[in-house]
Amino acid sequence: MIEVTDLGYRHHARSPWVFKHHSLSLKKGEVGAIIGPNGRGKTTLLKALLGLIKPQQGSVTFAGLPAYVPQGTDTSFPYRVRDLVVMGRARTLGLFASPSRQDYRLADEAMARVGIEALANRRLTELSGGQRQLVLIARALASQCDILVLDEPTSALDYHNQNRVMAVLEQARNDGVTVLFTTHSPQHALAIADSVLLMFGPDEYRFGPCDEVLTDQQLARLYNIDIRTLPFEHNGQAHRAVVPVFGSMA
Amino acid sequence: MRMSLYTAALAATSLALCTSALAEQGAIDVLDQNGRRVLLDEPAQRVATIPMPAASMFTSVAGGVDRLAAMHPASKTALEDGILGEFYPDAAMIPSDIVGNGFMPNIESLLTVNPDLVLQWAHRGSDIIEPLEQAGLSVATLNYGTEEYAQGWIQLLGDVLGEEEKSQRMIQWRDQTLADIGSQLADVPEAEKPRTLYFLRFLSEYRVAGEGTYNDFYIDLAGGSNPAEGNNWLTIDAEQILNWDPEVILLNGFEAGLSPQDVYDNPLFADVSAVVNRRVYHVPLGGYRWDPPNQESPLMWMWLSSLLQPGQVDYDLRQEMRDAYQWIYGQTPSERQLNEILRIEHNQNAAGYEQFLNPALASQ
Amino acid sequence: MTSQIAPALMPLRVRGGVWWLLGAFLVAVMLVSLSTGNYQVPVNHVVGILVSSWWPVEVTWTPVEARVVELIRLPRVLIAALVGASLALAGAALQGALRNPLVGPQIVGVSSGAALGGVLALFLALGTAAVIGSAFVFGALAMLIAYSMARVSGNSSPLTLVLAGIVVSAFCSALVSLLTYLANPEDSLPTIVYWLMGSFATASFDKVWVVGSVLLLAGLPLVLMRFRINVLSLGDEEAQSLGIPVERTRWAVLALCTALVAASVSVSGVVDWVGLVIPHFARLLLGPDHRKVLPASMLMGAAYMVIIDTLARSLTSAEIPLGVLTAIVGAPIFAWLLRQSSRRGALHD
Repeated sequence: MIEVTDLGYRHHARSPWVFKHHSLSLKKGEVGAIIGPNGRGKTTLLKALLGLIKPQQGSVTFAGLPAYVPQGTDTSFPYRVRDLVVMGRARTLGLFASPSRQDYRLADEAMARVGIEALANRRLTELSGGQRQLVLIARALASQCDILVLDEPTSALDYHNQNRVMAVLEQARNDGVTVLFTTHSPQHALAIADSVLLMFGPDEYRFGPCDEVLTDQQLARLYNIDIRTLPFEHNGQAHRAVVPVFGSMA
Repeated sequence: MRMSLYTAALAATSLALCTSALAEQGAIDVLDQNGRRVLLDEPAQRVATIPMPAASMFTSVAGGVDRLAAMHPASKTALEDGILGEFYPDAAMIPSDIVGNGFMPNIESLLTVNPDLVLQWAHRGSDIIEPLEQAGLSVATLNYGTEEYAQGWIQLLGDVLGEEEKSQRMIQWRDQTLADIGSQLADVPEAEKPRTLYFLRFLSEYRVAGEGTYNDFYIDLAGGSNPAEGNNWLTIDAEQILNWDPEVILLNGFEAGLSPQDVYDNPLFADVSAVVNRRVYHVPLGGYRWDPPNQESPLMWMWLSSLLQPGQVDYDLRQEMRDAYQWIYGQTPSERQLNEILRIEHNQNAAGYEQFLNPALASQ
Repeated sequence: MTSQIAPALMPLRVRGGVWWLLGAFLVAVMLVSLSTGNYQVPVNHVVGILVSSWWPVEVTWTPVEARVVELIRLPRVLIAALVGASLALAGAALQGALRNPLVGPQIVGVSSGAALGGVLALFLALGTAAVIGSAFVFGALAMLIAYSMARVSGNSSPLTLVLAGIVVSAFCSALVSLLTYLANPEDSLPTIVYWLMGSFATASFDKVWVVGSVLLLAGLPLVLMRFRINVLSLGDEEAQSLGIPVERTRWAVLALCTALVAASVSVSGVVDWVGLVIPHFARLLLGPDHRKVLPASMLMGAAYMVIIDTLARSLTSAEIPLGVLTAIVGAPIFAWLLRQSSRRGALHD
């Protein structure tokens, strides 16, 4: 469960607010998506609610252990995948401790859950973008978290890899993990999110169930371009496709 | 080899004499040790010395510190710490702020003391000489490290100070002592010359005199043989000392706090011949440290040959010192002062040092 | 397949053969060094002298030979090994904690600070104990100043730390220059210049105890923190999101490295390059994982330093300053390592 109330952040006392009075709440096992244009502060919002940066206003409540999946990792030291995933266990290890056999077992399980067992002994630098994303998710899962916070987990991935990441998130949700992620693609929100937060501006946002919030009108306002959501059917299920009308102005 | 050195010294001396003879009456015209001409209208009255050993050398030729206008701070420390500080208490008033890092002169301070001649190193590049010339100061340059250069200093100082008589006597004293020791030790076989190692540094590193150093020259002169292989100054490790197994060790007069006890107490050297036979000596400090070329070098040679070849040479060193100090400085050192110069406190228990103790005190 | 077996192999035991090899190499290097020197001691005598400390054997050697091996070479070899291990360990840990493979122990200001402390004590002619103490105190002080400069609102970024370290180093170097400028050219100056170039020539068992105990007290915790250093090397935010207290951990690594470097400088002067080069060697051999790089750096640093010092004291009858050799040997090796690494696409095995 995540409960965010009245969150506000600015870089320092005199700079304008990046966002303020933002609230959202997700129940256990729910998926939330944060959507906003480039530079609106999606990543900042995630960091603020995780406490990686200190918000000046508001409160955040996590019921359970959160884990963070950054957009990417850039290390000068290209560790092996398995050694990187086991770092998810760092929280539970003392200052002088190294991961035990049990920690490695949990890391192996997490890799199995996202389907990257075969990569265990590869170096991070040898992997594709999609594989790296899965490694980072596995690392988060290895911490046995209850809440998964992901920053644009599908950006820069092809459809196949987007599909894999989405499947992994869906499975995590089914296992009872609360998931919150940022994305540029309303389509992803439609696919798996229960609730969506649209960031219109520093003190203007909309949070609510997917169906209510992700309307043509709201999306057009968010991106300043005509966007249509077109219904279609697949295997007897109703879906909606998000289609931007390029060349138009809202 | 040694003879060629004396010949060269004589040649240099006579060359300098010729130049002065050619100069017009009353004016001084000499060549310094870079071969530069130094011209003075009259004998120098205010001299600033930048090379460290020059101040005490100057004092000996001038017979006092009255004409010493300024000097290197290290010269002043040495002067004040040694016997000259007692002979000439006025030395404490002489300014020493005339020189910076690497012997670079501080021109404005120098101009303040208004010298009519500045002594500077000859062998350390022109950067430290040119600023002096540009400021319109007369400069005489000095080289270092050999007996030839040392005699050249005395000669030069005698000429510019108008003390030719004194300088000639000092040079003659040197040549005579050289010849005297040389003839007394001429028949000593190579095998009976003790291996003698001079330590320029002992506490922070082991740095010894190799071939071509002044110390090598006088060890050879005084009937010793220098075991150090290699040219100039050598930094060596303890094993090399054991390898060379010196029979006599000479400790420098530069390092603060150094005494023969530092060698005796070091377990590494317990088997070194010099330690076993207690032949570790701290080099005396008279009008200047006796280790490098200085105005009292003949006393150093007498001291060393008496220790290296006892029975082969015959000097009453204390009397020699009294005599020499009388005519060089016009002072007679007290028994206490002689003891301090000879570092009796450090050396009295060393083998052969009893010959330098005051016989009157020793008999008590 | 390997991933099935791997869980059974715990970090330090992975590829056990390499560790035996590194250990055996160090021991071999030390034995060769003990048998090498300007004073001729036959190898069987060296072995006999060493063994006789624990085991009664027939004395075939002279007392001088025993003294050479026990009092000259042994402390010197031990101190070289300990200093090499300390500097390489500190270098490896700092490279990890500051997530920059191009920093060395000198980068956080410790080396220059310790050098200043040592020079100050030599300048005042205070004696060996004071040189060690003063080098240690000033090294720690320099690091504290660099750290507090880099610390803004409770956080210090690795980059500002490196920059602050450069500032503090430059300041300390200026003061060292000032002291050499003021030093008496006949007395303290040659001592200072020689000390600054680094040497094990004055090695003694007292100094062995100084570096040895610091290596034990500071090096052991540092090696134990090896997994934390892995996490720290991912970057501050990532490490924090993985649940470790970044600021406190980095502070601990810095403090421990400071102790190691200051102790080394205090007994042997400034020996550059070791802390920078050796960790790269270790990575080339064992990969980037600090759980292996830290202990491997210690072993390799020790062996490297012993080799360098053996060359320094036995190549010629005169001593070659250590700092000169480490730079002459270290710089080309580092250049080669950089090429090697970039050819492989990144700084790893």
